[in-house]
Parts: sequence; C-alpha cells; structure tokens
Amino acid sequence: MRIPLSWLANYVNLPSKLSDLTDALTSAGHMLDKKESVDGDTVIDLELRGNRADCYSILGIAREVSALFATPIRLPNLYKKLSTTRQLTEVSLHIHSPFVRRAMLTAIKNVRIVTSPDWLKKPLLAYGIDSVNNIVDLTNFVMVETGEPLHAFDLDKIGTNLAIRIARQDEKMLTFQGKTVNLDKNDLVWVNKTDVLSIAGSIGEKNHSISDSTKNVLLEGANYDRVNIRRTIHRHNLMTEASIRHEKELDPGLVEEGIYRFLYLVDKYDWGQLTAQVADYYPSPVKPWSISLSFDYLNTLGGVNPGPNKVKTILKGLNFKIKNETKNGLVVICPPYRTDVTLEEDLIEEVLRIDGYDKIPTRTLSLEIPPIVTPAYVGQEENFRTAAQSVGLDETITSSFVSEKYHKFNQYLENANVAPIKIVNRPSPDNEVLRLTLLPNLVAMTQKVINERGHQAGFFEIGKVYFKQKDYCEKRKIGIIYWQKDSEPFTKFKGLVESLLLKANIEKVSFGRQNINNPRLTNTYNLLLDKTVIGFGGQNGTIFYCEIDLDVLVGKHQKTVAQLWPKFPPQIEDITLTIPANVSVGEIVTSIKQTKYVTATELIDTFENYYTFRLWYQDPSKTLTAKEVGESRKSLLSLIKQKFKAKIK
Amino acid sequence: MREEIINLKNLAIGRITDTDDLAELEAVKIDYLGRKGKINALLSNLKKADPGERKDLGQLINETKQTIVATLERKLQDSLPKSSENFDPTIPGIKPKIGHLHPTTIVIKEMFDIFGHLGFSIMEGPEIETDDYNFGKLNLPHDHPARSLQDVLYIDEPEILLRSHTSSVESRALDNLKQPFRIVVAGKCYRYESVNASNNAMFYQFQGVALQAGISMADLKGTLYYFAKSFFGRERKIRFRCKYYPEVEPGGGLDIDCIFCKQTGCAVCKGRGWLEMLGCGMIHPNILSNFSLDPKKISGFAFGMGLDRIVMDRFGIKDIRSLYNGDIKY
Repeated sequence: MRIPLSWLANYVNLPSKLSDLTDALTSAGHMLDKKESVDGDTVIDLELRGNRADCYSILGIAREVSALFATPIRLPNLYKKLSTTRQLTEVSLHIHSPFVRRAMLTAIKNVRIVTSPDWLKKPLLAYGIDSVNNIVDLTNFVMVETGEPLHAFDLDKIGTNLAIRIARQDEKMLTFQGKTVNLDKNDLVWVNKTDVLSIAGSIGEKNHSISDSTKNVLLEGANYDRVNIRRTIHRHNLMTEASIRHEKELDPGLVEEGIYRFLYLVDKYDWGQLTAQVADYYPSPVKPWSISLSFDYLNTLGGVNPGPNKVKTILKGLNFKIKNETKNGLVVICPPYRTDVTLEEDLIEEVLRIDGYDKIPTRTLSLEIPPIVTPAYVGQEENFRTAAQSVGLDETITSSFVSEKYHKFNQYLENANVAPIKIVNRPSPDNEVLRLTLLPNLVAMTQKVINERGHQAGFFEIGKVYFKQKDYCEKRKIGIIYWQKDSEPFTKFKGLVESLLLKANIEKVSFGRQNINNPRLTNTYNLLLDKTVIGFGGQNGTIFYCEIDLDVLVGKHQKTVAQLWPKFPPQIEDITLTIPANVSVGEIVTSIKQTKYVTATELIDTFENYYTFRLWYQDPSKTLTAKEVGESRKSLLSLIKQKFKAKIK
Repeated sequence: MREEIINLKNLAIGRITDTDDLAELEAVKIDYLGRKGKINALLSNLKKADPGERKDLGQLINETKQTIVATLERKLQDSLPKSSENFDPTIPGIKPKIGHLHPTTIVIKEMFDIFGHLGFSIMEGPEIETDDYNFGKLNLPHDHPARSLQDVLYIDEPEILLRSHTSSVESRALDNLKQPFRIVVAGKCYRYESVNASNNAMFYQFQGVALQAGISMADLKGTLYYFAKSFFGRERKIRFRCKYYPEVEPGGGLDIDCIFCKQTGCAVCKGRGWLEMLGCGMIHPNILSNFSLDPKKISGFAFGMGLDRIVMDRFGIKDIRSLYNGDIKY
C-alpha cells in the first residue's frame, strides 16, 4: 500500500531519516517495495501482510510506527455519537444474509457538492486516487485514513426500501466505471425494489451514485464475511480499493469509526446537514478477547528473552491491555482491530517483531542430532547420475507434462492399458497430460538437436512417470537417449547402457527381444536382471532409447570390491566365427564365457556374418600351457559347431 | 702387444655399434674403462713391454681409450629419444565426450550437502497429492488465497491435485516420521500459470523442516544464516525479517543483498537492493495439533524457497523455460 509520508506525519512523529522508518517497517513485516516522490511528497509503497487488515490504512501504519519508535499516536477527531436506531426515517434497510456482520447508515441532507480542497485532494492524489468531488473524495479519504470503506448513495435516487441479499442468477449491474457485471447466487448485493445498487464490499452502481446534482446522501459503512467478498471479487474481477480491504478480516468496530470520522469532516467543512440518527445493524458484536503469554514459552519458541518489562512496553505500545500479570507471564486483552492475533504464538511474534528480528540470536541447532532417515534411493539416483555422466551423457530435466505435439509418444512401456493422467483445469494444452514415460520429452529434445544443431545427442533424465492403476502411481525412471549423425550401430548404444549400469554397480543385466506397446519404437527389447524386467528399449528412426526402472533396482547394486591384477599372465587369442542369422550372438557369448579358463571375451570385429571374438584364457594360480589352452579351445569350438551350427574361419 | 691393443679396440667398437641397449653400453663402459677394466689392465701390462716400444704403445693405448670413450658417448647421445621435426603442439586435441549435470541438480546437491552437515536427512514425497496434505493439514483454510482453483492444478477436483509446494512433504514428515527429525526436500511443484520467461507451470522448490523439543527462532535463524553464508558466500549480506505465512507463527523471511546492483537498486531487485530468498518460521501450532503434537511440548521450524530463480542467478540463465526444455548447451 502506498503511504504518503506527509499524510502519515499527521498522526505520528516520523524519524528524521527515511531509511530508519522503512528499515523498521520492513523488519516488522511491512516490506518497503518502492519509494517515489509525488508533488514534493515522499510516498513509500509497503508490501503488507495479508492477515493485517488493520494496516491497509494510514492510521494502521501510524500505529505500527508508534509501537516501533515508542512515540505517541495522534488519533483523528470523530463526530460525537448519535443516537442509534433500527431503521432511519428516510430509508429502511432489510438484511437477508448472514454474510453481513455489521451495517451502519446515516443520511446527510442538503449536501454541498464542490471541488475538493487541497487538504483532501492532495493526499488522495499522492496515494493514487483521483479527485471527483468533495463527497466522493471524503469517502475515499476516510477509507484510506481509517481502513473502513464507505459508500455514499444519492438518497433521492435509491427509493426508501433497501435490502442486502444474495443476487439472483443472471441479475445484472452496471458499475459506476461502466462495466456490466453478470451476478449469480453467490454474490451479495445492496438492492432497492427494482435495482441492484451496489455489489457489497466492492463497487457501486452507476445511476445511484453521487453526482454533481446530488442533494441528499445516504452514507453506508459495513462489514461482511470476507470469504464471500473474496469469491465475488475474484469471480468478477472486481479489484477495487474497497474490495482489497473487505476481502480481509476487518474489525466490525471500524465501521463506526469510519462513519463518525466522515460526519466529523462534513460537519467541520459545512458540506451538509447531519441528521440526528444512525441505523446500526450489528447482530453479534465482537467481544474483546484475551490471550495469555508465558515468558518461558516466549523464550523457548522465540529464542530470545527481552524481560518482562520490555515485553509489557512492547505490548502496551501496540495497544494491548495488560489484564493480569504474574512472574511467569501476562494475560492481555487484544485491541479489536488486531483480528490476526488470536494465539499465544501470535503474541510472541508481536514481541519479536517490535523488538526486532535482528535481536534474535543465531544458534545452529545446538541439540542432539536426530537419526538420519534418508532413503536408499537418494544415493541410488546419485550413483546413476555419476554413472551416466561418466559415459558422456548430459543430464536433462524435462517437464512432467507432454506437449500436444508429442502425445503420440506418450505410451506406458509396461502395459498398453494405462491411460495418461490429465489435469482438469489445464492452463494450456501443453500443460495438460502427464508423462507415462520419459520418452516423449527426450525425443523432443533430441529432435531439436537433430534439426537445429550438433551431430550428436546423448541425454539422460532421472525423473518420475505418472499413471493411475488402482491408485495414482509415480515411478522413478532413468531415460537414456542417443543419436549420432552418421547412424551408429545398436552395439554402440548398448555398450553405453552396459557401461552405465556397470558403473552404477548393477551387474549381469541381459537384453532380450521383446515387443513393447509403443508403436513409435522399433527393434524393441527388454532389460533383465536375473529374471526381473528392469527396463525397455527401442529405436525411433536413428534415435536409440532405453528406460530403466529405478524403483526395482533399489538395493540391487553390488558392493564395490577392489580387484588386483592376476599374478599369472593371460593367453589372448582371436577366433572368427560365421554365425547363422537365426542364432543370437548373445548365446554364443554365453557359451564362450562358460568355457574353462576363459575369463573374458569381447566382440572385436564384425563383417557380414563373420564375428571375431577375443578371448582371455587365464588361471589365478599358474601360467597356462599351450596344451591347456588348446584343449579348452577345442571343446568350445566343437560345442559351438554342434549347438549353433557356427563355422570356424 | 700392439696387436692385442688393436684387437681390443675393434672388439669394443664392435660391441658399442652392435647394440642400442643402454645396459649393454653401461657394461661395455665398465668392461673397458672401469677401474679394473681392460684399458687399465693394458696400462699395467705396459711395464712388461719392450722399453723401446713403451712410449708408442702407451700412446696407442691412450688413443684406444679416447676412441672408445668418444664412440660410447656418441652412441649414448644417439640412443636418447628425439622429437619429431614437424611436431605441432598447437593442433586441436580430440576431446573425449564428457557428461554434464543439470544446473538444478548441481544446486540441489550443494544444498543437500550443506544441510547434511547440520544433520538433515533427505526426504521426498509424491507430486500427485491430496488436498489434505497439500493444504488442509497445513493451516491453509478453505478460502485461503493459495487455494483458489486458479492457482492449483487439479487432477480430480477438489481432492487430488499436483502439489503446489513442497510443504506437502512437511505434512507427510509430520505424519510419518518419528520425532525428532530434520529433513530437507527438493522437488517439482506445479501451479496454474501461463508460461513465459519468468513463470512456468512447473517449478522447483526446496524445503526444510526440523522438529525437536527446544527448537526456537534462534535455531531457525542460525541454520538459515549458516546455509546462506555457505551457499551464497561469506561476504554476502543477509536480512532476516518478519513475514506472514499461514503455515508458520512466528513467521519470517530471509533476503540477500542484490549482487546485480550492489544494493544501489536495479530491475532485478526492483530497486529494493535486496532479493527475497526464502520464507520461514516456527511450525504453526494448529499444524502441530493437526498431527497430534502438543505445541507446548515440541516445536519446529520450516522454510521453503523457489529453486529456479537461484539456479538461474547462479548459472546466468535469463529465461526460466530454458531450464527444462533442453535449450541449455553444455
């Protein structure tokens, strides 16, 4: 809220240095947003706390300044109390809704509409409200000064029978700003026999408002259920000076203050003739409430102990009344406008913020360290990240949503019958459907690389996929995507995935042919650890993709054991085989690995259906003789010949 | 004897020229030039020679010795490795592919490490949440501004939604963890937002919660100062002030000096000189009561911050969308 300092200075002495004022207000919860100069007056714009309805006024801020700088406040003059009545003689008001907590009315006759004098016009202008005429300006002035929104009707235009009720469906009202509002059964309105006169708490109707020809005025001040007002102003986009106050928890007592302040100023400047009566509808007056404060609790929660005298000074400075006092604590009565203070913890905050948050000491949790409860998958994700990074993949984080263009890729890989989860109130079509696999967004990124830049793309993402079976499910996956300009063979991608898994200490993963339910992928396969499926992979054009389920892999990693070089040297030899097309090379590799003395094998070359394997024969306890190796080779080759009809070159 | 000397010389030169092995050259040196070597042996035999020839023979031995020394030296020089004439160190190298981590991951890891030193565990929670965990249990009454349909993405209105903050994990921690505990959470959150350079429907938050008898605002302040100084640097200025959040009482906020303008005021800090970094406070007594904890017996603090802005500042990223759409070039 904008606070013109010359206006504020009417009620409280300000420190001579502006930054002393704004620093103190910022620290106490009203952050300085910006400051500017309007017509020689400094205006500070404070970001106010949503629960401080009382601070949306110059007086509210003056009370804060008074408490912060321990300086007295000069309250504005009010008109003397008039006799209250149920109904005015000029007009009756019937209230048909529990959302009205209080409503006050009074008539002002023979009003003199004039151009506003400077004392009225200038502060409003600095605040940001343009001048209309003295009566309209005065309602605004009192609202900004006290925080109570007031409304002035043209008494001669509104008839004699008024009511506040819930609007009828599709009832319409033209605001004085010229906007037509289509009301519904949730909106609270002021009406007469035929027309809607105003939307409660936010804006008046055009033809019943004050004009230059207005002779008699009906002044109203009210307090409503803020939730109802809030809904209405958001539904119809009716942010006004009145509504930003009414949507907060205002003190119903403020209604009276606003009305009598208005009457005082009308009387003082002779802008109209006051009537003797005020109608006041206030079915359940707010009773004063008290809160106890324990000094011990202040110390244990606040971490600071200013001492009983300081605490009392602070609370008194904020207009709390000390009802009771012991050596352990206080019982205080809250000022009625402090609708945000209802609990002992609220009081503690009051003490801390006026004393200053800078007085709170800094302790670094000087308590016993609680047990560590970090789940295992946190370390697992970190291992996979390191592993993926070490094989040269770049990490990416993509949206949990799948953009419209890539919906066709969004198929759950494990089960065709899983539909994606959708947002019911999507902000845009690209933020509507949750991903069932990391594939669509990784493909989108890779295609971007293919189309726009680079000759190679290798990404991984660790993230969740979302689906509904019986319940809503979230599964953690790692998606690996790879593309290279001059089409790379599958073996290169597979090697990358294998190295990644080995680096993450997941050993003995095998790849097997498997149809999966994503028509966008060809050459599909699954990944198995023992007999458990841990992931799926396939190809989209020249892009390779593989997705591994991290949840099933938790705890499946091998412990790292340091290995030493064997003491006895290996015998290394290359064998070239012709393998029939119907035989899986993987099975041959398995046979080779099962051969006596063979400790490792690698496929080092392929040409047409020729496959060259390199074999390491080794024994940990001796150097193998040519005879021992020869026997081993012989048994391997005869097995391969028999079982796979493979030929030795 | 003359013949003997010439033979010895030829043999030695032969041995030297025949080998490139440094050990063999060393052996030749010892064999011929050593204290008990063959040259010294010849010299000591010189006195047995014909006195008339002694002078000539002595000269011949000396010549032989010098020839061997020179040959040996030349050979040793020749067997040292040589640079190729056209070696060019300015030629570009062939770089192995290095993988990179995402900036958000790097920041999260760094924060986890800092809080790890203070005894915090890492926790996660679901992104698809119930209204109760996201709002209800967190003292966010039904008509709190944060609850309007405009702000939250619903999957099944009004009960199932995408979490709008990581405070939902605070609910789950209070529900499931045995006290005392200290946890930090980092994760995706969602809100109803049209996407532009500074707003996204998906964003990252970082949250911390500590629950333990005896925890006070002083512990909160100390913890956050430790974090801020560790993460942003010891030289940075920090401001701790009162701020309102429904989830905490008393509530606070931590601001950090604007490095873009050195606190002289700029567009990034909106002329304030300070950047709002996080919101925090003591867990609201209503929340503790919601989880059957007695606010008078146990207390705790909570803090939360948006990560994307911090990541963008750290890595000089201007557009929030580029964080999660693959535009980052590694």
